[in-house]
Amino acid sequence: MKKEFAILVVAVIIFGVIASGCIGGETSTTQTQKPATSSAQSTSETTNVVIYGYGSEMITLDPSTEFSNSIVVLANVYECLVKYTPEGLKPWLATSWESNENGTVWTFHLRKGVKFHTGNEMTAEDVKWSIERTIRMGLGPAFIWDPVKKIEIVDEYTIKFYLKYPANLPLIASSAYGAYIMDSKYLSKLGDDNAIADWLNKGHDAGTGPYMIDKYDPKTEVILKKFPEYWGGWSDDQFDVAIIKIVPDASLREQMVVSGEIQITRDLPLDDIPKLKENPNVVVDQTPSYQELYAFFNTKKPPLDNKLVRQALSYAVPYQDIVQYVLHGYGEVAKGPIPKGMFGYFEDLPTYHYDLNKAKELLAKAGYPNGGFKLVLTYTQGDEAEAKVAEIIKAEWKKLGIEVEIRPMNWEQQWALAKSDPAKAQDIFMMYWWPTYPTPYDFLFNMFHCEEEINFNLCYYCNSEFDKLIDEAVTLEGTQPEKAAELYKKAEKILIEDAPAIFLYYPDDVYVYHKSIKGFKDNPGYPQVVFFYELHKA
Amino acid sequence: MKFREYVAYRLVLAIFVIIGVVTLVFFVSRVIPSDPAALYVGAHPTPEAIEKAREQLHLNDPLIKQYAYYLWSLLHGDLGISIRTHNPVVQDLKSAFTATFELILVAEFIAILIGIPLGVYSAVKKDSWLDNLSRLFAISGVSLPAFWFGIVLQLIFFKHLQLLPLAGRVDTVVLLQHPLKVITGFYLIDSLITGNIPVFIDALKHIILPAITLAMYPIGLITRQVRSMMIEVLQENYIRTAWAYGIPPRRIYFKYALKNAIAPALITIGLSFAYTLVGAFLVELIFNWPGLGRYAAYSILSMDYPAVLGVTIVAATAYVFINLIVDIVQVYLDPRIKL
Repeated sequence: MKKEFAILVVAVIIFGVIASGCIGGETSTTQTQKPATSSAQSTSETTNVVIYGYGSEMITLDPSTEFSNSIVVLANVYECLVKYTPEGLKPWLATSWESNENGTVWTFHLRKGVKFHTGNEMTAEDVKWSIERTIRMGLGPAFIWDPVKKIEIVDEYTIKFYLKYPANLPLIASSAYGAYIMDSKYLSKLGDDNAIADWLNKGHDAGTGPYMIDKYDPKTEVILKKFPEYWGGWSDDQFDVAIIKIVPDASLREQMVVSGEIQITRDLPLDDIPKLKENPNVVVDQTPSYQELYAFFNTKKPPLDNKLVRQALSYAVPYQDIVQYVLHGYGEVAKGPIPKGMFGYFEDLPTYHYDLNKAKELLAKAGYPNGGFKLVLTYTQGDEAEAKVAEIIKAEWKKLGIEVEIRPMNWEQQWALAKSDPAKAQDIFMMYWWPTYPTPYDFLFNMFHCEEEINFNLCYYCNSEFDKLIDEAVTLEGTQPEKAAELYKKAEKILIEDAPAIFLYYPDDVYVYHKSIKGFKDNPGYPQVVFFYELHKA
Repeated sequence: MKFREYVAYRLVLAIFVIIGVVTLVFFVSRVIPSDPAALYVGAHPTPEAIEKAREQLHLNDPLIKQYAYYLWSLLHGDLGISIRTHNPVVQDLKSAFTATFELILVAEFIAILIGIPLGVYSAVKKDSWLDNLSRLFAISGVSLPAFWFGIVLQLIFFKHLQLLPLAGRVDTVVLLQHPLKVITGFYLIDSLITGNIPVFIDALKHIILPAITLAMYPIGLITRQVRSMMIEVLQENYIRTAWAYGIPPRRIYFKYALKNAIAPALITIGLSFAYTLVGAFLVELIFNWPGLGRYAAYSILSMDYPAVLGVTIVAATAYVFINLIVDIVQVYLDPRIKL
């Protein structure tokens, strides 16, 4: 008994010493300065850190296959040939580009004197290798390069793409997913594609971007350090170190940005935004995103296979109230299937508005004067906004004698049910869409084009006239944008007339940043990305 | 049954329990309709990409084959690939485990430091206002929800007093200025060994609130256990004799009485380790502590079942072995227990 007690006491004491830190009293507290490496931090420069509080974990770091959150890292470390901005395409690694008459051959002129983090110079060879690797691996976003038949190196700084069919290649080359240029000389030495992927996923990089990956822990933080030889150059008030800190809890992120523990964050609870606007320490930045919320009707199952019923229900949605109540005004009522600010969005599309009388009239016409049917609506569990929208719709349609059963499901289950037999599937499916790269075709093709096998056309809509219009429009996007827009508009009008889905709203991207930084500008073409190079100390 | 036989018997039993847990969780997680392959590929996947992922994750094999494959990998210490992070689960768990273990140890330390003296004083001053107060404290510790308590602490110490950090394990900027050489994976110990005082202080500041939150439950347990054992012991004849001899009270309480009262409390302390492992799940979420609990919560939410299985195995193993050790110690200490 004595012995055990003694052991316990000793253990407690040892642990106590460790935890209370009384050992530390003896050691000298002088800072051991690390020898200065190329971008070593001295203590005086530590204010030179910017931290982005981000809600999700990183997935993979392979630019060829990454199709998820890690673009918040990749877009700072790698660069594309072209940069998308809402004002139009801008040079990035390519300084200019041109195409032949019908948009099947594209030539890009590359920026000279661009260095990779490895020290090698970027040439046409790297561009060809990077894109060919992405196509070869065929994973994630590789489909964006589908039009490409052949890539030809003209000289060190000129590269030619031959396409199977006309396409807007500069826009594709600006994609936030699958369009990054890597150092082929360095990577090809590492082995096959999988060996390269393994090396990259360990937290290495081979990009040209302003920042290099210094430490990669996909669950807690990613530390980026500035690349001193970046072709864009550096000024004194930019940040030497940029950190992406993973903090899944939104209220924690809010506290952190207010206290200055992190400098920028997003996806905070919308109820708190008005309070944050009052706070002198932070700035609330609100810009339209390229996202849209849809509710797809099951067009293969009665009663929603009847166009009149779909139109009636489209009139029975209080769009304005939804934006007010669900988004607290941080968003806009959708005008058709394409988000505002994108090519293919038209202010003057004839869209549905809230009109219960009109809805009743149409229902009577369709043979359901008192409603009298039941619909199953599925949405993604945990999405507060979708849950609220579902409740509002349920309450409104009750006035028409229609009962809605709301089923929150986890995304994989929701999607699996939708991909099973449409005759047994849900009646209404709620989902957000955002583009792989900002083309209306990404929206219209994925969600409304006839599908052999169900993937994302979750209203099971199939209209050959509509398909023909968008298939033609996409080939003209690069060379004849006015003509393309005209065709898109026709297609969207058909869609609105047929009402295969309710176009609900465009949510805003709401970033909140601390007053100690300036220069932030949201770019909806690169969702959730903060371009650290654009930030400056305030 | 000899002592050694008993230990061997219990070990074999423990292995069966763990296999049982693995089997149960494996099949339960597979019958839930979901498509891990779709999750693995990420947003807006093409059917081809999903099929590729299916092959990669062996999802096209019959369930029994998948199960056999999983057990076989498990024997080699391979827990598969996380669907969410694409990392080997073992690698994810390693870093998470040390974070959780450090938190639990500090919490237990706090619990022992507060629980034992509080229990002793409660027993000595039985039915006084001090006793009632400490019992109230102990009952609150056991019954107040940890998440609520944690948030209250954050409100007081971070928001109003601005004394302690809100969340996380160590401040990134401090870590940048004073890079920490990782030896054990315990920040407090590593920073001490390497003489990295700024990181030590910062890590200590970060651990205080989550550790106190986590300690509340074991404090309640230990206090109550020590108190009731002390009350029992203080009525024993030999204590009365000691009083009669005029031995100083302090010595009677802490030397004669506590010595005999502490043995059952040791068992409680051992078991409370297992409880704190459970409590860590909530506490880690509130304090954004990069440990097993947070990892498990996000794995469950995103149906990442290799990760869920991995956490389950680690937690079950820890739980079973803590119980095993406690039982063995009990048998060893108390000859009255018949094997």
